[in-house]
Amino acid sequence: MNVQAALDQLAAYRTQNTRASQDIFEKGALVLEKNVVHKMGDECWGFLEQLALAAIDVGRLDVADECLRTLNAKFPGSPRVDCLTGIRMEATEAPDIALKYYAELLEADPTHAAVWKRRISIFRRTGKIDKAVHELSQYLDTFYTDVEGWLELADIYATSNQYEYSLQSLEHVLLLAPQNPFYVLQAAETAYTAGDLALAIKMFLMVVDMTDGDDSESLVESTPLGITVRAWYGVKLCTRRMAQDARLATSSRSNTPPPKNVKMLDELATERLRVAYSSSGKKGEIAKGREEVFAWVAAH
Amino acid sequence: MILVGVLRHYVMVLLQSTPKKLSRAALREQRALARSQILRATSAKSPIPPLYYKTISHSLSEAFKAGAYLKDGPPKGDSTLSASDPFSDPAAMDGMMAGMKTQMVMMVPQMVIMGWINFFFQGFVLIKLPFPLTLGFKSMLQRGIETPDMDVRWVSSLSWYFLNFFGLNGLYRLILGGDNSADSTRDMTVSPFATMGTAQAGQPQDYAKLFKAERDNLEFSEGLYTWAGEDIDTKILGKYGKLAPSRE
Repeated sequence: MNVQAALDQLAAYRTQNTRASQDIFEKGALVLEKNVVHKMGDECWGFLEQLALAAIDVGRLDVADECLRTLNAKFPGSPRVDCLTGIRMEATEAPDIALKYYAELLEADPTHAAVWKRRISIFRRTGKIDKAVHELSQYLDTFYTDVEGWLELADIYATSNQYEYSLQSLEHVLLLAPQNPFYVLQAAETAYTAGDLALAIKMFLMVVDMTDGDDSESLVESTPLGITVRAWYGVKLCTRRMAQDARLATSSRSNTPPPKNVKMLDELATERLRVAYSSSGKKGEIAKGREEVFAWVAAH
Repeated sequence: MILVGVLRHYVMVLLQSTPKKLSRAALREQRALARSQILRATSAKSPIPPLYYKTISHSLSEAFKAGAYLKDGPPKGDSTLSASDPFSDPAAMDGMMAGMKTQMVMMVPQMVIMGWINFFFQGFVLIKLPFPLTLGFKSMLQRGIETPDMDVRWVSSLSWYFLNFFGLNGLYRLILGGDNSADSTRDMTVSPFATMGTAQAGQPQDYAKLFKAERDNLEFSEGLYTWAGEDIDTKILGKYGKLAPSRE
């Protein structure tokens, strides 16, 4: 593998923010070995940061230290390097020491978002969920537009079985990124878990609407793919539970009116799921599960 | 002249004070408006269901009303006057000083070079253009030489200086990169006081007033609000041909 290809791949990882640590580390080590770092110009600092993070991820702290030393020599007192130093510290030191380090950084600059987030992640990691939630809400109150932060908050709530709160955080995510069907799907599933079936089914249908084609002529023949299938599963689950217990459909905590044609939706979801598993899978994984899916879909 | 431009660029880089860091409260104040703008942006076909929309909208409105997002906490009654005076806020003063400083660096070398050329080369004719020009260019090309009947193709020293002065920007951009501060035409068009005025307009905003206006906007978009998932069930059924397209 030549160095240029490795560099291109690394640059692609950087722009896409991919966390392929093992791959990054191997390619980065190759670049270091070939000694072309100083030829990269200004690119090399981004590369060193990336390599340091990947090296910490795969446990090669010696490489990470070397990157950090170079970065520190070039940018003394830079907030980004400070944050990286903190991450390196977390790898070996006790959480308390890292927390103290972050607290000092935050005191010097209370608006340093990255350090703040690291601090919250330590709280969460060490099981201080209440503190993590408190800090994270404060953080989001200041940096409202951080989708990642809202997702993290939703995740924390979901792991504590607080699905209502989780759903509320996800609503903010939806506001911030209304065009991303994955977030809608997550919100739908959270609503389902929270027991708000009327809301869940509508959001599942929104996912379907967002991810299938626009051309309604060919739609009937087309095969649902990817997350659309998952959304249809959600619709099916909702309609089934609504059919079993009519009270579930009307008791919605968000006062969402129940869908009008539950039976038709149920039939449509059944049909779509059958299509999804019949046409695309003559071979491979899908064919194996087909029997089970058909049995599940047919059951009541 | 090129060297002076380059030198000036680096002096500017040295003089530029690092942007002042905002406190957390100030940042929060600055970004509070964006929250309601994000909410309002999609209100006509909002991705979130009515209950959640109303909750967020009302809590924001309450917070704006109570001044919860203001940097210095909720107002205590008669403190509305202070924000408008730039001289009361030390941060604003800093910004003004920085503006003056850069302007000085711009002007001083300009004046020195021009004075120098004027002193030594007054009345000299430096070059002859290789093409004829009409009389209209006389004032542009023969500044500093008061002769009514000299051919316009002769260019006086002072005019040559000005021509170079405006023409060097491309060269600076090549040497110093696109966003350099050696660009000399800028300080001809922009007086130091004009920049001060625009900088001032951007900085101290009366957030209390902005928040009040935003409350009206919030109320307005709540009227516009519909949920994207309102009739999604019938829409999907129609889309897949299970239901006759909704009668409208």
